[in-house]
Amino acid sequence: MVKDWRFWFVIPTVLALGTVVAFPTGFLLWMSTAHWVVTEPGVYFNGAQNFQTLFASSAFLSATGVTLAYLTLSTAIMVVLAFAFALALAGPHSSGLLRALMITPLVIPPVVVGFTWRFLLNGEIGFIGAYLLPAIGIEANLLAEPLGALFSIVIADVWSRTPFMFLIFLAALQSIPRDYYEAIRLDGAKRFHEFFLITLPMMKGAISVAILFRVIDALNTFELIYVMTKGGPGRSTQTYSLLGWKTAFQGFDFGAAAALGVVMIVVTTIVALAVFRRFMRGV
Amino acid sequence: MKMTKNGLAAFATAVGLLYSTASPALATTEINVIGFGAGFAWADLFGPSGTEKTQKLLDFESANDVSVNMEFADEDVARQKVLLDLINGTGNYDLVMLGSDGAVQTFSAAGYLEPLDGYLDSAKDIFDASKVYKPFLEANTVNGQLWGLPYYSFGSGVVYRKDIFDKYGITEFPKTTAELEVVLQTIKDGLAADGITDVYPLTMRGAPGEEPSLDLSGFVYAYAGYPAWFEGGPVTPEEIKATKAQPIFNGDFKPGFETFVRWSQDFGPPGIATHTWVDMMNLYAQGKAVVLMPSAINAFAGIPGSEIAAVKEHSKFAPSPTGPSGKAIQSFWTFSVGVSAYSKNKPEAYKTLAFLTSEPVLRGFADAFGWPYTTYPEIMHSPTLTDRWSAEMLGQIEASFSEADPHYFPYIPELVEFMDQIGTGASSAIAGTVTVDEALNELQDWSTDRMTRAGYYK
Amino acid sequence: MARKLGRTLSDDLGRWTLITLALIFVLLPIVWLAIASVKTRNAALAIPPEFIFTPDFSAYARIMSGGFLGAFQNSLIIALSNVVLTLVLGVPAAFALTRMHGKVQENLSFWLLSIRMAPLFAVILPLYVLFKSIGLLDTPIAVSLAHLTLTLPLAIWMLVTYFRSIPVDLDHAARLDGANALQILWLVIIPIARPMLASVAIIVFIFSWNEFLLAFILTSRNAQTVPVAVASLAGTMSFDWPLIAAVSVASMLPALIFVGFAQRHIVSGLGSGAVK
Repeated sequence: MVKDWRFWFVIPTVLALGTVVAFPTGFLLWMSTAHWVVTEPGVYFNGAQNFQTLFASSAFLSATGVTLAYLTLSTAIMVVLAFAFALALAGPHSSGLLRALMITPLVIPPVVVGFTWRFLLNGEIGFIGAYLLPAIGIEANLLAEPLGALFSIVIADVWSRTPFMFLIFLAALQSIPRDYYEAIRLDGAKRFHEFFLITLPMMKGAISVAILFRVIDALNTFELIYVMTKGGPGRSTQTYSLLGWKTAFQGFDFGAAAALGVVMIVVTTIVALAVFRRFMRGV
Repeated sequence: MKMTKNGLAAFATAVGLLYSTASPALATTEINVIGFGAGFAWADLFGPSGTEKTQKLLDFESANDVSVNMEFADEDVARQKVLLDLINGTGNYDLVMLGSDGAVQTFSAAGYLEPLDGYLDSAKDIFDASKVYKPFLEANTVNGQLWGLPYYSFGSGVVYRKDIFDKYGITEFPKTTAELEVVLQTIKDGLAADGITDVYPLTMRGAPGEEPSLDLSGFVYAYAGYPAWFEGGPVTPEEIKATKAQPIFNGDFKPGFETFVRWSQDFGPPGIATHTWVDMMNLYAQGKAVVLMPSAINAFAGIPGSEIAAVKEHSKFAPSPTGPSGKAIQSFWTFSVGVSAYSKNKPEAYKTLAFLTSEPVLRGFADAFGWPYTTYPEIMHSPTLTDRWSAEMLGQIEASFSEADPHYFPYIPELVEFMDQIGTGASSAIAGTVTVDEALNELQDWSTDRMTRAGYYK
Repeated sequence: MARKLGRTLSDDLGRWTLITLALIFVLLPIVWLAIASVKTRNAALAIPPEFIFTPDFSAYARIMSGGFLGAFQNSLIIALSNVVLTLVLGVPAAFALTRMHGKVQENLSFWLLSIRMAPLFAVILPLYVLFKSIGLLDTPIAVSLAHLTLTLPLAIWMLVTYFRSIPVDLDHAARLDGANALQILWLVIIPIARPMLASVAIIVFIFSWNEFLLAFILTSRNAQTVPVAVASLAGTMSFDWPLIAAVSVASMLPALIFVGFAQRHIVSGLGSGAVK
């Protein structure tokens, strides 16, 4: 194996990542089975207790629903938009300026994105919430209502992260050889056929990667939501990541937070495996 | 290849240069502080950006051979860092910012703070405990020990728009909550009759988390007549354990909670369930609210920068109204700083702490912001404030904290979580996602479980 | 280049409508931020907004006088190092992965993916402990390394998807000319893959530049980054909206410059695809 050049190309990555990842993973697993509450003395093993408490808590149930809703909604919108934008701007004539402009939301830190949208959507002093929306007849204080708040964080997240998917799709689109299109056009195919017979299949890998990473990203989205709604009103925008942070840094219960972390990892792994097996065997 | 060898070399040199200039310089005893509010807290020491060192600070540093390294961060998120530092006993921070509504109680119980009683004499020339209002120190005293010194602090009160009150025929601010409710309704009807849709009778804070809890607890106190969290109203862990006092969130806690929620819904702006103190302040400053309570300081924070003439000219202060029990609605808080138990330079850390809460520094705060709240009676009666605010107002405000009892809620280690749960429950109730009873029942269940797990009822 | 056969006016119209709408959506908040950064505090939040006003650049002056320059420097170092590290480690790894088959390849690919699955709030504590124990807390290197765990897997996955489309015949041809693996990579693969590398570089830079949680936890005074600096202003004490807006606008600039520089390499419409 050592003679194989592929081994040497891969080993630096494995080492670099392995060292930084090994310790935290082990620690996390240990933490999840420990009773560790900052305000109480003594840290001790308590088996699956953290998990039992977690599954029985209403906060966990609520967070599951919120996370699922937020995840599916934002990812679906993102994929459609990113794909549409990529298609529109993949052509040879498209200016680099346009593309660069499309990417700008990405360069704004999520903290700022959260604040910006929070102010924009504010029903009393926000440009959109207090000026544009009422002008077209919508008198709602989005951030103050559970559904509205969810909708708001989805918008902000979509705004912030679609450019990322856009870039992935763009690059993938441009790697599809022109000949393929020319070939079937010679057979009399319309653009409609082009899309479904060539573009979509060739993009399958890119779409799967994009969705997978997007899902993982969404699960980790924290400061954007926190800054916009702090998880509220009530618990209506409290996703797993917010619940976890709260458990650790306000509830001071690190064991419980770690348990939630482990659950998140397990769920993501299962989903990823499924996607992986189904779509990316050949990738 | 686009990148030539020279290009690569230049690039590498540039990165290398960047790296070398990024390394820090060394100094004498380094005291590391973490806090929030850059440009606001200690602006007279760290400048408007929070990253400079003014002459005032430099003088202190050279006189005492220390170098004060200040790190500002967002309040909630700073808590993470502080916690990580304290849990690991890293001792990265010598001084940590606390609040008297949870952090002081929780961190002292966890053993992360250094008791300050023994140090008070060591820097008496810088900070003299006898020269500040007693309640501010009491708010930082848990189990008879002092854990933090107060920076800016406040008591309860109401700020309202006299011009709007006059317009609807209300000549003086109501003294009881019952009267206030009538007044709020009158104003609401009046505004509606006049077709004014963007001004609201009341502005309070209802964001989820611990945000509303300080004020809400004040309502509870006024309606029940005592800190109605546990049976009999105990406020220390020992008292709770002595009588095995169970939580009473669906008992005497209810009237105050219910009123807070109802007033928010009926008299507050639509978005009140998401409002933090900043939103509350902004609303008032923009002239869109008539009454701000019970943490009046937030109105004073907004008035100077307001561009609405009426807000600046017609805002008046009134003492907090009393509830059915005869006790006034409370609101009391200090922004305090404590010494980490893991600090490697405790005496110097304390000295720095004394400096940060000393009279000249608090005076700098008063000069910069002019809020009629300070920890030193001396400053309260000095021209900085007496020139700006009427004697009557200053007197009333002074009474709101010099005679307050900070213990209107229990001082227990689990306080941070309680504040968070209570506030979130209130926020949900205001938003209408749950009813008041549902919120309180959930609170009751949660707290019973929490207290049991913490071993109070063994 | 010749127009595609069969393109009609309505196609173009549709395309341009989409682009316009997209641009409005994308740019509205940014333009609003930029405008807010040159208004006074109250004007910035006033409704209805003043569309005509005299700009007030004091917020930017406040940036210059503050320690934000240090944060910019740190962010730049971290982001650039991250790009370099990610490319240096990731390109060979991705290439090798696409030339592998079977269980090893699958497991390796999946392992890389799994690294990103750990939620940050759960690993913050162990990461803090780890870096503290090797004495790297509050250094740019710590943040770069931590970021690597998030950017490297992503970069490799993106590159793998792309490298797959480069046929193995190219490798064989090069080998017949006597090239070894390194030479194939450097002389054949990388030139072809430039657009993709540029995309990856952009994404990695931006990601690293914007990352908050890890940068916040692993740094305090010396290695503070721009998002952390912004957050320190924009927390519960968010008085000064113009200042926050100004810092945000200013913080966009280096990233935008980098994007502008790199995106030239995303050559528009590789006429003949990857192969020729």
